[in-house]
Amino acid sequence: MRLGRSRSGSSVPTNLVRSLFSSLPGPRTAIPSSSHRSASPVESSSTAGSSSSVPRILNPPFGSCRNLSHQKGTFSAPAYDIVKNIIRSSCSSSSSLVSRRRYFGGVRLLSNQAAVEASTSDGLTVEGILSSQWTILDESEGDWKSHAAAIAQSIHLIKKRLQWKKLLVRFQVLSAQLEKPDIWNDPAHAGRLSREQGSLLSRMKEVVEFERELLENIDMIKLAREENDSELELESLNALVRMRRISKEKELEALLAGEQDPCSCYIEVQAGAGGTESMDWAAMVMQMYKLWAQRRGYGVTVVDEMSGDIAGIKRATIKVDGEYAFGYAKSEVGVHRLVRISPFDSNKRRHTSFAAVAVIPIQGDGSTRVQINESDLRIDRFRSGGAGGQSVNKTESAIRIVHIPTGITVTCQNERSQHMNKASAMAVLQSRLDQLERARQAQMNAEHTQSLTDISWGNQIRTYVMHPYRMVKDLRTNFEVSDPDSVLDGDIDGFILSYLSASLDKDEDDRLYWEGG
Amino acid sequence: MKLKAVRFVGSVGGLSSSSSSFLRLPPRFFLFPHQRPRSISSSAALSSVPRLRLSSSSTTWPPTSHSHSHSHSLLPQLPLFLRPPKYAASLSDLQIWHDWAKSLAASVGSTFLDSDNGPHSSLLCRELGWLLEDALPEGTDPSSLLSQMRLGAPTDRVKLKVGIRDLYSLWRRRIEERRPFQYIVGCEHWRDLVLSVQEGVLIPRPETEILVDLVADAVVSKVNARLNDRVWADLGTGSGAIAIGIARALGSGGCRKVIATDLSSVAAQVASFNVQRYGLQDIIEVREGSWFEPLKEFQGKLTGLVSNPPYIPSMNIPGLQAEVGKHEPRLALDGGADGLDDLLHLCHGAASMLRPGGYFAFETNGERQCKFLVDYMENELKGSFLDIQVVSDFAGFQRFVTGFRQ
Ligand SMILES: C[S@@+](CC[C@H](N)C(=O)[O-])C[C@H]1O[C@@H](n2cnc3c(N)ncnc32)[C@H](O)[C@@H]1O
Repeated sequence: MRLGRSRSGSSVPTNLVRSLFSSLPGPRTAIPSSSHRSASPVESSSTAGSSSSVPRILNPPFGSCRNLSHQKGTFSAPAYDIVKNIIRSSCSSSSSLVSRRRYFGGVRLLSNQAAVEASTSDGLTVEGILSSQWTILDESEGDWKSHAAAIAQSIHLIKKRLQWKKLLVRFQVLSAQLEKPDIWNDPAHAGRLSREQGSLLSRMKEVVEFERELLENIDMIKLAREENDSELELESLNALVRMRRISKEKELEALLAGEQDPCSCYIEVQAGAGGTESMDWAAMVMQMYKLWAQRRGYGVTVVDEMSGDIAGIKRATIKVDGEYAFGYAKSEVGVHRLVRISPFDSNKRRHTSFAAVAVIPIQGDGSTRVQINESDLRIDRFRSGGAGGQSVNKTESAIRIVHIPTGITVTCQNERSQHMNKASAMAVLQSRLDQLERARQAQMNAEHTQSLTDISWGNQIRTYVMHPYRMVKDLRTNFEVSDPDSVLDGDIDGFILSYLSASLDKDEDDRLYWEGG
Repeated sequence: MKLKAVRFVGSVGGLSSSSSSFLRLPPRFFLFPHQRPRSISSSAALSSVPRLRLSSSSTTWPPTSHSHSHSHSLLPQLPLFLRPPKYAASLSDLQIWHDWAKSLAASVGSTFLDSDNGPHSSLLCRELGWLLEDALPEGTDPSSLLSQMRLGAPTDRVKLKVGIRDLYSLWRRRIEERRPFQYIVGCEHWRDLVLSVQEGVLIPRPETEILVDLVADAVVSKVNARLNDRVWADLGTGSGAIAIGIARALGSGGCRKVIATDLSSVAAQVASFNVQRYGLQDIIEVREGSWFEPLKEFQGKLTGLVSNPPYIPSMNIPGLQAEVGKHEPRLALDGGADGLDDLLHLCHGAASMLRPGGYFAFETNGERQCKFLVDYMENELKGSFLDIQVVSDFAGFQRFVTGFRQ
């Protein structure tokens, strides 16, 4: 079996079917996960081994087929059918056949069965639970159906947020590419694909396992009742309650499942046209982000700041350090509009100003960075007049770096030495180039999987009205707050979360055309 | 001229002592700031360094303006950021000072810029932020403190490394006397270093940072793989910037020794202080004396020679920006009638001191001097040098002349 070797050294199987099962032979074979999600604070490790750092398929209810060995899948059916088939066959098909195979690494072709979901021994599926619309009671009520229904709903939401179908499609595309014999001729590219595949896999496994755990516990409860085993019943019921709590956390986590989401980031604010009024607004927006970042306990450093002539800033860049800084801040990308009586207008007229916000993730060390060629750079500093050198003593040591091939220009002036300004400008440039490269890759991927994203950059996303009434309204979600001051003091999580869930929770089918396309 | 290795002269309670002795600093004191930025607890460092002069009276630090003497009476001053936070002020008092300082800075507008190309008030405001940064204890973020000033309880007390009254006088001197900001805080951030500076020592310039990169590049380039051993020299070392930069860029395996010389004893002492702070006293040797005089034993043996000698033409000195002309030592700036006196001396010295294949890099005043030097070396010192090049700084000025001994 061919293993994709990612740069971090973890091996990621290149085939969906194999990989979902590669952890089965023997107890708890760990697949080192190259996914960032293993570092996420919430893990469902308390219950039957569904920890994402030790991914494995949950034991089927009655233990008979838990030692299922490798299976080989074909990709004639849509990938999600395959997943369902795997689950189906691994837990409810004839066990003797399967367990015998475990010693021979048996190959079993999956037929093009209709999509069959994981189910309990009496055929109950997660979909089934959802459609039976069991009443969801308070967590304290000891009704297993209520717990099961709540968990099933969470799973449904999590899948939506993870863009489940898109995930499966992407996974299949990656697997197909990694199967190509010549793929490793370009190890960097192959490594990237394999790493992405690994992270998709662990994300998918986590959900599949969670589903399986739900069904397993239901089976247990039913069995316990049949056999009047009240201890077992209570145990399984408690397991469901635990799952119910965890599922809420997983829902939140699923909002930030993007590959770059855990990164630190840069936030850039630029004043729109309109002179001092807009520059003042840009400074207010930047201050809002600084306060927001401080509230969240992130580190904030000003990288670059170009002051306005009279007030405010022409533009500024801050670095926000901390887990998921990018995941949250990315919701702020776009144009922010302010309506108020301008303090700079002696006639007290109403003014509208604009500020544009960009957010750039800072990739971790493990990921591949774009190689920057020294010879592609033009580095200069602002002339401070005169002969320079010994004749001048100015604490100004701003540096501008132009990346000639892309035209990307970065300036930095907030460090106290030119050398450090250069270093921090280089770091910004690196992140911008990385972002550009990812956009390019995403476009390439989009050609394979059709256009799947509907993110549009640079449009107006939010309006802040101070006069004649007071309100902040997000134009994407219609989320609104009637107290602009609290928002400008950095209380923007409401906007961020409503945007994240709105963009992920809409019906996936609205934007996925795999089967049709 | 008498050659002597420069040592730290310790003194207690501001009384200068004439007995020379190496200052014994505990190992913690030598952590590189870039590794643990500002992590050196200055109070710890200080309590174990009783011999470093620290004026106990708040009015005598920093020293008042003076014409610097070469006597031992002027000892290395501890930069503000290394001092212990033994003062405190209420948040509201600090805010009042900050508002006052800001308006003083704002009142400057572009008057300095227009009169002698001095700093604009926007730059002064940034300096104000840095002054606050240096005056606050490690880990206190000035910007969050400032927003706290607006929101927080005015009676909250803030620890400071300098009394609030001194903050007033420091800033007043910055604006009214045009005393350089770096002398106010006692340090300059240069490359990834924070170097102690004080009156009598040239504040290292951003342009000069590149000299270190030039040396590193020359050593790395395969052709000159052999440049990485043996002895380098930084002549007219001032704060020790170039020598420290080179020693760190080349690494302990990269150069066996860097000799840093200066005619000014204040410079030599400040350089020694900086060398010790970076724990490089085994690699860098500071010697007091004129140009090559302290290097006689290395005649024809130097691996590399780097210098940023005084190069401003004498007639330009009166018109200099006040921060430079009125406060920095003339000895560090004045290069004679056309500014080339010392550079030419260094060219001759390079011819006799460098070993074959040895490398030199000099900073100059600009295109005219670069051209002159290249021409001089190629013609008057014909046959001495190879591969003579002119390198520009980031502002686009031709700034450096480099080359190899034939
Ligand atoms: C322009 S400063 C350079 C200081 C430091 N190398 C730097 O780049 O920041 C010139 C230095 O040369 C020193 N100097 C002047 N005349 C000298 C001489 N005859 N011998 C040695 N050093 C001298 C001055 O004291 C001053 O420190």
